[in-house]
Amino acid sequence: MPLNILVCIKQVPDPEQFDRITLDPATGSINRAGIPPVTNPVDRHAVEEALRIREASGGTVAVLTMGPPQARKCLEDALAMGADRGVLLCDMAFAGADTLATAAVLAAGIRSAGDFDLVLCGNESVDGATGQVPAQLAEALGWPRVTYARKIEIAKEAATALVEREIEEGFLRVEVRLPAVIAVVKRINRYRLPTIFGILEAGKKEIIEVGCAACECAGLVAEAMGLAGSPTRVAGVFQSHRKRHVEMIGGEPKEAARGLIRKLKEMDAL
Amino acid sequence: MKEILVWAELRDGRLTGVALEIMKKALDLATLSGGRVSAVAIGRECRESAAELVAHGAERVFVVEDARLDLYQADAFTKILCRLIGEIRPGIVLMGGTSVGADLAPAVAARLGTGLTAHCTDLRIEAIEGLDQLVMVVPGWRGNMMVKIVCPEKRPVMATIRPGVMERGRPEPSREGEIVAVSPDIDEKDFRARTLERVRESEESALEQAKIIVSGGFGFYEAGGVALLDQLARALGAVTAGSRPACDAGWVPESRMIGQSGRTVSPDLFISIGASGAPHYTTGFAKSKLIVAIDKNPKAPVFDIADFGVAGDLKEIIPALVEELEAKE
Amino acid sequence: MFEFTKEQEMIRAMVREFADTELAPKALELDRKGEFPYELVKKIGALGIIGVASPREYGGSKAGHLPAVIAVEEIARVYPSLAFILEVTQAPLYMLENYGTPEQKQTWLPPIIRGEKIAAVAATEPTGGSDLATLNTTAVADGDGYVLNGRKVYITNGSVGDIVLVLAKTGERASILALEKGTPGFIVSRRQDLMGFKSGDVCELGFSNCRIPKKNVIGKEGGGQAVAMATFTVSRAAVGAVGLGIARGAFEIALKYAKERMLYGKPIAGLQAIQFMLVDMDTEIDAARWLIYHPAACLDRGMLPRDIGKLSARAKYIGGEVAASVTMKAMQVLGGYGVSPEYHLARLLADAVEIFPATGTPQIMKIIQALEIVK
Repeated sequence: MPLNILVCIKQVPDPEQFDRITLDPATGSINRAGIPPVTNPVDRHAVEEALRIREASGGTVAVLTMGPPQARKCLEDALAMGADRGVLLCDMAFAGADTLATAAVLAAGIRSAGDFDLVLCGNESVDGATGQVPAQLAEALGWPRVTYARKIEIAKEAATALVEREIEEGFLRVEVRLPAVIAVVKRINRYRLPTIFGILEAGKKEIIEVGCAACECAGLVAEAMGLAGSPTRVAGVFQSHRKRHVEMIGGEPKEAARGLIRKLKEMDAL
Repeated sequence: MKEILVWAELRDGRLTGVALEIMKKALDLATLSGGRVSAVAIGRECRESAAELVAHGAERVFVVEDARLDLYQADAFTKILCRLIGEIRPGIVLMGGTSVGADLAPAVAARLGTGLTAHCTDLRIEAIEGLDQLVMVVPGWRGNMMVKIVCPEKRPVMATIRPGVMERGRPEPSREGEIVAVSPDIDEKDFRARTLERVRESEESALEQAKIIVSGGFGFYEAGGVALLDQLARALGAVTAGSRPACDAGWVPESRMIGQSGRTVSPDLFISIGASGAPHYTTGFAKSKLIVAIDKNPKAPVFDIADFGVAGDLKEIIPALVEELEAKE
Repeated sequence: MFEFTKEQEMIRAMVREFADTELAPKALELDRKGEFPYELVKKIGALGIIGVASPREYGGSKAGHLPAVIAVEEIARVYPSLAFILEVTQAPLYMLENYGTPEQKQTWLPPIIRGEKIAAVAATEPTGGSDLATLNTTAVADGDGYVLNGRKVYITNGSVGDIVLVLAKTGERASILALEKGTPGFIVSRRQDLMGFKSGDVCELGFSNCRIPKKNVIGKEGGGQAVAMATFTVSRAAVGAVGLGIARGAFEIALKYAKERMLYGKPIAGLQAIQFMLVDMDTEIDAARWLIYHPAACLDRGMLPRDIGKLSARAKYIGGEVAASVTMKAMQVLGGYGVSPEYHLARLLADAVEIFPATGTPQIMKIIQALEIVK
């Protein structure tokens, strides 16, 4: 049975360059200028999983992101990998959202973009790293969810998926009815790079833009979007002290050993 | 913030460590704000855990027992928790940021329409805009920033707590509390996602997942070589690795070579022993949370990138460390 | 100012990620063992990198010559040997695509583009490389084919090649003939050891009464010299890109090292002596970059090889210069770590010098340019 799959992806600043992020002490705002945007790493595994499911059982793969106009780039990259079409949720009304308001807008965007049997996400983004959006998206859609998925098998009649869900000491085998939201971890697969042919074809594929009005049509009130729809607020940011100044621990070997272990315990490292 | 509700996660019918860590924090917050702490335990059999939670300071423990709830069931757990929160109306709900807690908490928060802050490393009460508020501190941007989050209006305020960052309290058997049995009230509809079984796996000590890495350079060989490194790693619960010279010499497998042409790691604690600290090596672990360098040469460049350093004879320092660690166990 | 298209930027990002994840961890080891990277050639084939400029009906993606140059550059940044292999393969592809019969294209192009078959061009002889007029290899018409005799040296992909396009005299003039692996009398005399290009395959070939069917002539009989000149003109831009990639790889290593290497408690990147070298390297790379992209961009705009003779000779020349100059400066930044073959930098320097003779020495490149400037 062919499945219509939608993959939620996110554009984030390149995590390899997070140490270039600085804090403006005067305004308290984060400066991330000059750090190039990339697709959130685990989201590429989610796109890959969707493509593999499509290759095995047919169907379509749509990719969706919420972000500023330049977030279109991560959709184009997913289209180059082989996704069929893109959805860009872009509106000033969406700005400043916490995970709850993000999930609400994603759900409205998904509803307005078509009928889907399966929504895949990366388990978390590297910037916020809350990992909250997939489960909250499932709630907003009224669907069941499985997070931390490291293996997905779609049943033949496509009514359920059998998922291996990572836990600390192994995994849970979970059977979930479709439609569902499944969030994947990196080890689920090795994602493909786009081929040059795929890159050239991506430009011919459709990316639709969905704004505030379309989300309202899909049943979401404007008060539930963006900053207005976010119960949490950032009350402040401070730089964690990561610049290293070595503290030499002296004394006889035994003394030094004891001193070091005490220090490490103080730092909660042991 | 009168009532703080703690979801106490059970694993194998026993309380998880993070549940007790949260209990201590909840108790501290309750003392500050004049509230009280309740806990909820969901599972097949929770009575023993409930008694333990009382000893850790819970004035009430809600116990939801059902054979179908032995393993984590996302739908059913979400429903039970939402109903309970709706009934007892706590001001704060705290949950462990385990792989299960990280699934359950956001669903509960979404269904209740309230705010949730993930993986907190600290919780404080601070006056913000004239109001005492729960301030939740989370590391952002891979730990390059710390962010303070508040939830000014919606209740309850919800947070998940990163396991292992908070101190566990002492149980006091003299404490008393009420144990309240709650009917699960679930049916087939609450198993759209059904956990069929749990499969245990011996966690392979992969380098990238290791919390602590002990890495040897050329210099540690003369101090006793691989055996000593292994001993120290065992005492620390660490994984061993090495610099290129150590790998070239065959003391450490190639798959565990740290550095530009090897692996890049960022564990919580990286201990480099007997390596002078060539950039090709140090680049492989420079982003570790905490770095300890041990080398005989006090001017070795490796100390420039370390948080703590010990200079001296490795033959003496390493055994002393092992002894000290094992004595504390 | 010149700007790349979105697709060209995406192609660069893809090849760079491939290079960083798939090539960087293996490059040193493969070069040390001197093994031909068959699997990696198949991988770049599957990604469409080999056929980046080739027609779609034969499995290429027809993205253009500039994307080919970009791909070579990005691969050379971490694994110059594979970049040489890719660059060298562009020559037989160009010959077959532009001068081959439909049957020849259908037979040979798809497997070469997929990376499943390897192709080579054999032009240089012991008595001279760039002077095509003094060819000693002969192909004498005999019945329904030719009988090939002679020797070729410094033939890249010579022993691994499934098909070798040989430049040989047919009567008074030269022709290109496709010689298939396994043809009786086709001998790989020896593999030639070079300073760099360690996992490449550079061979001396011998032909002793090899029979080649008539249908294996590429282009017109007697038109070989023109085919070879056009092909080398096109491939020179790609050779320059190998140099550009090597220079960038060396610069990245030097910059990273300078920021991390501490001297008296401070990174050496703070010292002016080091800063001047870094600035020189970055400037040289930037200057070379545009000269190297230029001929490929001209081809993509519809210009013909004969229109870009000077530009492509200049691109190749500057590619060799920038690779050698930047790797040498990087070595001075790194000190002892720069000269150890355990690390990438020494390998990049050894590969940099391999650019000098490829498709003609720097002096030949100047002669080609002088022909246009002084005429």
